[in-house]
Amino acid sequence: MKARIRSRLKILTLCVGAAVVQLAAAAAQADTGVGVDTVLGNALNPGTGNTMRDRDPAGLSGQPQTRRTPTGQLYELPYLPVTPKATESGWTYSGSVEAGVLGGDANEKNATFRMYKDLDNGLYLNNFEVEAEKADEARFVEAVGGGVGRNDQYFGVEFGRYNDWKVEAFYNETPHVFTSTYRSLWSGLGTDNLTLNALTPGGTTSAAVTGPNIVNALAATENSELSLVRKKGGVRYDTNLSDAWKFFGSYSNEKREGARPFAAVFGGGGGGGNVEIPESIDYNTHDLLAGLRYSDSLTSLNLQVAASLFRNNIDTMTFDNPLFITTNTIAGVPATTFTQGRYDLYPDNDYYNAKGEYARALPDFYSGRFTAVASLSRLRQNDNLIPPSMYPLTGGTINGVSTADNWNTTAALSKSSADAEINIRLLDLGLALNPTDALNVKGKVRYYETKNSTEYWACNPLTGQWGRLLNDGSGGNFPIPNATAGNNPVGTLNTAYNAAGCNLAATQALGLVPSAGNGGIRNIPFDYKQFNYTLGADYRVSTASSLNATFEREEYEREYRERDKTWEDKLKLGYTNRGIEDGTVRASYERTNRRGSEYHPDPYDPFFSTSLGPLPTATGTNVASWIHIMDSFRKFDLADRDQNILNARFNYMVATDLDVGVALQYKDARYPDSAYGRNDRQKQNSLSLDLNYQPSAEVAVYGFYSYQASRMHQTGLQANACVIGTTYNFLSNGAVQTTALTAAQIAAGITIVSTTTVTAADFLAVCGAASDTSPLYPTSRTWDVTSEDRNDTLGMGLRYDFGKAKLDLNYTYSTSRTQISYGYNAAALGLTAAQEALIGSGMPDLEFKQQILDASLLVPISKAAATRLFYRYEKGTIRDWHYDGVAQNPVPATNAVYLDAGPQDYKASVVGLFLQVAF
Amino acid sequence: MRIQNSLCIIRARLAAVAAVTALALFGSPAMAAAPESAPESAPATYVGEKACLQCHEPANKHFGHTLHAKVFRLNPKNDTERQVCEACHGPGSKHVSKVDDKNFIISFTREWGTPIEKQNTQCLQCHKGGQRLHWPGSTHASNKLGCSDCHNPMANASAKGLLKKASISETCYTCHQQQRAEFKKRSHMPVPEGKMSCEDCHNPHGSTTKPLLKADSVNEVCYPCHAEKRGPFLWEHAPVRENCINCHSPHGSNHDKLLVSSRPQLCQQCHSPSVGHPGQFFRNDQTAASALIGGAQSARVIGRSCQNCHTQIHGSNHPSGARFQR
Repeated sequence: MKARIRSRLKILTLCVGAAVVQLAAAAAQADTGVGVDTVLGNALNPGTGNTMRDRDPAGLSGQPQTRRTPTGQLYELPYLPVTPKATESGWTYSGSVEAGVLGGDANEKNATFRMYKDLDNGLYLNNFEVEAEKADEARFVEAVGGGVGRNDQYFGVEFGRYNDWKVEAFYNETPHVFTSTYRSLWSGLGTDNLTLNALTPGGTTSAAVTGPNIVNALAATENSELSLVRKKGGVRYDTNLSDAWKFFGSYSNEKREGARPFAAVFGGGGGGGNVEIPESIDYNTHDLLAGLRYSDSLTSLNLQVAASLFRNNIDTMTFDNPLFITTNTIAGVPATTFTQGRYDLYPDNDYYNAKGEYARALPDFYSGRFTAVASLSRLRQNDNLIPPSMYPLTGGTINGVSTADNWNTTAALSKSSADAEINIRLLDLGLALNPTDALNVKGKVRYYETKNSTEYWACNPLTGQWGRLLNDGSGGNFPIPNATAGNNPVGTLNTAYNAAGCNLAATQALGLVPSAGNGGIRNIPFDYKQFNYTLGADYRVSTASSLNATFEREEYEREYRERDKTWEDKLKLGYTNRGIEDGTVRASYERTNRRGSEYHPDPYDPFFSTSLGPLPTATGTNVASWIHIMDSFRKFDLADRDQNILNARFNYMVATDLDVGVALQYKDARYPDSAYGRNDRQKQNSLSLDLNYQPSAEVAVYGFYSYQASRMHQTGLQANACVIGTTYNFLSNGAVQTTALTAAQIAAGITIVSTTTVTAADFLAVCGAASDTSPLYPTSRTWDVTSEDRNDTLGMGLRYDFGKAKLDLNYTYSTSRTQISYGYNAAALGLTAAQEALIGSGMPDLEFKQQILDASLLVPISKAAATRLFYRYEKGTIRDWHYDGVAQNPVPATNAVYLDAGPQDYKASVVGLFLQVAF
Repeated sequence: MRIQNSLCIIRARLAAVAAVTALALFGSPAMAAAPESAPESAPATYVGEKACLQCHEPANKHFGHTLHAKVFRLNPKNDTERQVCEACHGPGSKHVSKVDDKNFIISFTREWGTPIEKQNTQCLQCHKGGQRLHWPGSTHASNKLGCSDCHNPMANASAKGLLKKASISETCYTCHQQQRAEFKKRSHMPVPEGKMSCEDCHNPHGSTTKPLLKADSVNEVCYPCHAEKRGPFLWEHAPVRENCINCHSPHGSNHDKLLVSSRPQLCQQCHSPSVGHPGQFFRNDQTAASALIGGAQSARVIGRSCQNCHTQIHGSNHPSGARFQR
C-alpha cells in the first residue's frame, strides 16, 4: 500500500512538475524547417542538460572501438543508458537534478563576462531533466530546465503519444548586457520618460557652464549596466493526421525589457549638441504559426501560415535634456526651451506570411523531381505619427513664418499615421532530372519581390512649408526660394513656396530655384525584384566520388537605387570524394562576376528639394548641395565585383581512434569600377584544424585551431566647395583655395598647379566628378582606409575517467586584432603638424582576447548521486579606440557628452559545488 | 570473441528461421521465404528484430531509448515502422546468412560503406517532405552528406534530434569550424551560451536559398528575433531594407554589434556627400583620449560613432526622421 502511495506520489510529482513547467512556459520549439527557438540551454548547460554522464565502454557494437560517420568522423561513445524506474500504474520514469552553490567571481559585473549569461554567487539549480513513459499506451512526458531563477533560465516540457501527437512548451530567458560602464544621468530607464537626477533640464546659464556641471554630476555617478532580458515562451502542437498528413500549430510570446545604449542630437546637422542616452526597451512580440504537411511516395506538400505581431509598449520616449544646446533654423525661441527631447521609437508592426511548397517525383520522366514554392508576405505598420515638436514654439519663426502651435500637433504632418506597407512575393520553381544513373541535372528559377507602398511627404499643411523641423525643433531643414541674387526674380519671398500648399506640382510650377538641393521632402520607398536562374549538373564519377557544376545568374532590379539593374554570374565547381583511403575530401571553387546597368550616382533628386525648382545659375550660389555625391563613388552592394571563392575540407582518419579535419576558405573580391567607396581587394581567408581522439570510454581529447585573416579597403574624399563664379586654385601641395598664394606659401615653394572656375553651365560636371581640378571633389583630398583583421581561435578539451572521479576540461583561447591604417594628404586637408602627430598612420588596433576554461570534477557518492566540483576561469582583454578616454573625458567638448566607457578587461574565477542526483 | 560471434550468428539464424516460419504461417506469403534456402538473386526478406538482437543486443541497449525505437515498437503506423531494425537497415535475411557481406545489409557508418544515396534513401522513406522537402539538390546533398553525418539514430547523444553530438551547434561545428571561431569573437550571436543554435537561422536539410536559410531572405531570417526592425518605416535605409548582412556579420565580428567593419568607416563605404561630414577623413586625433592631449573630439568617432546622431539607423518613424535622428 505504501509502495502504491509512493508510486502515485511520484507520478503526481512528475505531473505537477511538468504542469508547472508548462505553465511557466510558452512558444513553440521549432523544427529545422520553420521558426526559431531550436535549443534550450544556457552558458553552463549549452547542451541543455547534464553531459557528464558515464559513457558505455561497449559502445553500440559491443566492442570498444567507436564507429565513424560516412565522412569518417568518430561518433562519440554513447552514454550509459539510464534504467527507468517502474510504477504500478505502468509508467516508468527517470530523471536527474543538479543543484548546488556558485561562488568566487560569479557575480562579476563586467559586460563582456555577462553578455549572454547570468551567473551570481549563491544557491543555484543548474539543471534538471525528467522523463516518463507509459509504454503500453505509447505516452510520454519529458521536462528539462536549468539556471532556475536567473535571467538565463530555461524550461521545456514535451508530452504526447509517440508517432501520434505531441505538445511542446518552453520558457527561455536570454539576457543581453550591452555595457556595465554606463553612467546614467537619468531615472526612469526602461520607461517612456527619462528624468534627470541632478541636473537642470536644458542646462544652466550657458553651454560653457553646463558642461562642467555635467562633468561634476558624472563624477558622482556610479557605473551601471544597460541590458535587456528576452523572456520568451511558447507552445507547439504536432499531430500526425494520417500516415501522410501532419499538422502543427504554435504560439509564442516574447517580452523584451530593459535599456540599451542610444544617443540624442540637437540642432540641425548635429551641431547643437549630442549626448548618449539610454533607449528604453519594452517589447512584446506574438508569433503564430500553423502548417500542414503531406508526403507520400511521389508527392510532398507543405502549407504554412504565420503571423508575427510586434508591439512596442514605449511608443515614444521623452528624455530630459542635460545640455544647453545651440539651435539653428528657428529664430526667436531660446535654446533653453528645449528642456526635453522625444523619440518615436520602433512602431508596432504586423507581419503575415502564407507559404506553399510542393514537390513531385517524376519517376517516368528521367527519374525527375519538380518543386514549386510560392510565398506571400506582408509587412505593415500604421502607427500614429507624433508631431515634429512637443513645444508650442511660441514667438519663433522659421524663414519668416510663425512657429507658434504650427509644429506641435499632427496637423503639421502630411498624414497622421504611417500607413506603411511592404508586400513580398516569392516564386521558386525547380526541375531535377536523372538522364542516367550517374548524372543529375537541375534547373531552377526563383523570383523574389518586395513592393514598398509607403508614401510620406515632408510638408506642413498648416504653413505650406516644405522640409522638416529637426530634433524637437532645435534645428530644421527647410527649402525656400534661393536668396542668391539672380537665381529668382527680385522680390521673391522666402515664403513663396508656401502658397502652393504642399502641392508639389504647384510648387514646381512656380519655377523658383530652391535654397539647397539636398533637403529631404519625401520618403524613399526602397524595394527590389530579384531573379535567380540556375542550371546545374552532378555527375557521379564513382560510387564514392562526384563532380558538380552550377551556373547561376542573379539579377536585381531595384527602385530608387544607383543602378536600376545588376546581374551577377556565378559559376561553381565542386568535387566530393569519400573513396579516398581513410579520408574524405570536399572542395569547391566559385567565380562570380557582378555587373549592372549604368551607375547613376544620384538617383534621389525626386526625393530632395532639388526637385522643387530649376537648377541655380547665379554667380555666388553655393551649389554643392545639388551634387549629392561624386560620380565615381560606388556603393558596394551595387558595384561591379569579381569574386573568387575556394572552399576545401579534408577529413582524415589517422587511426582507429583518431581523426583530423582541415578546412580552408579563400575568398577574394575585387571592385574593378570603384574608384571611391569599398574598393581594391577584399579578402577573407581561413584555415581550420580539428582533432578528435577517442581511445577509450575513459579518455577523449579534442582540439581545434582556426586562423582567419581578412582585409577590406576603402577610399573616400573629403569634399571641398563649389560656388558658381568662383575660381579655385589647386596648389602643388594638394591644397585648394580661392585666394592667391600667401607669402608663406610662396616661400615654401608652393605653386598654383591649375585653376578651375565654376560656371552655371558646367557646375554639375566640374564639381560632380572627382578629379585633380574639381573644386568640390579634388583628388588631393582623397583618403583611404585599410582594415585588416586577424583572428586566432584555439580550443581543446579532455574527458578523463579516473574510476573514482571523472574530469572534464574545456578550454578556448581566442584573439582578434583589427588594424586600421589610413593614408591622406595633410596639406590638402588643411591639417596642422600638431594634428598630424596625433593622427599618425592609423587608429589604435582593435583587440579582443578571451580565455575560457571550464573544468569539472565529478565524484560519485553512490549509484544515484555524485558531487561535481566546477571551476570556470574567464579572462578578457579588449581595446576599442571608440572608447579611448571616455571614462576620463566624458565631455571632451562643449555639448558633447559620452556616458558609456565601453567594454573593459576582466578576469573571473567562478567555482561551484553541485550535487547531482539521479532518480 | 570469435566463438561469441559464431554463437550469436547461429542464434540469429535460428531466430530468423523462426521468424520466417511464423511469417509463412501467419504473415504475408511474399515474405515467407526462409533465408537459408533463398537463392542468391532473390530479394532479402525481413527476419524480425529478435533475429537482429541476437547479435546486436549492445546496440539495442542504446537504441531502445531513442525516439525511433519508441515509435517503431510502441506505436508503429505502417509496415515499415513495424520492422524496427529493418525499417532502416533493410531486410536482413541475407545478412543473417552472410554477416560479413556488406551488400546484404544497409548500414550508416563509414566502415560498412553502404553508398550514401542508399543510406539517405532509407531515411527519406519516412522523412521526406516537410522540413526536408528541399533536401534533394541542397548544398549538403550536393556535397554527398549522409544523414548519419549529423545524426546518430542509434543512441541519444543529444537532447533532441538524435544528433551525433550533444547539441546542434556542436554537430555543425564538426564541419563548419570557421563559424565556430566566429562565435568566439567579441560580438557574436549567443550560440556558445546555449541560447541559439545554427538551426535558428539555417535549415541543414535544405531550403530555397543557397545558405540554407530558414526563411525566404536574409532579412526574413533576422526579423523573428529582431521584429522591431521589421518596420516598414516612414524613412527607410536602403541597405537595411535589402539585406542585414550589408552591415552585419551574422556569426560574429571583431567589431561592436556584429558589424562587418568599424564605424564610421563602415558608413563611409556608402556615404560621401558633397555637403556635411560623412565624407570627411575621420582619424585618431578625434577620440576622447586625443582630446585630452590637443586633439579635437568628433562625435563621429567616439562611442557609437555615426549612431551618436543617426540613432535610428534601421529606419525612423518620426516625421522628421529622414536622417534617422529621432
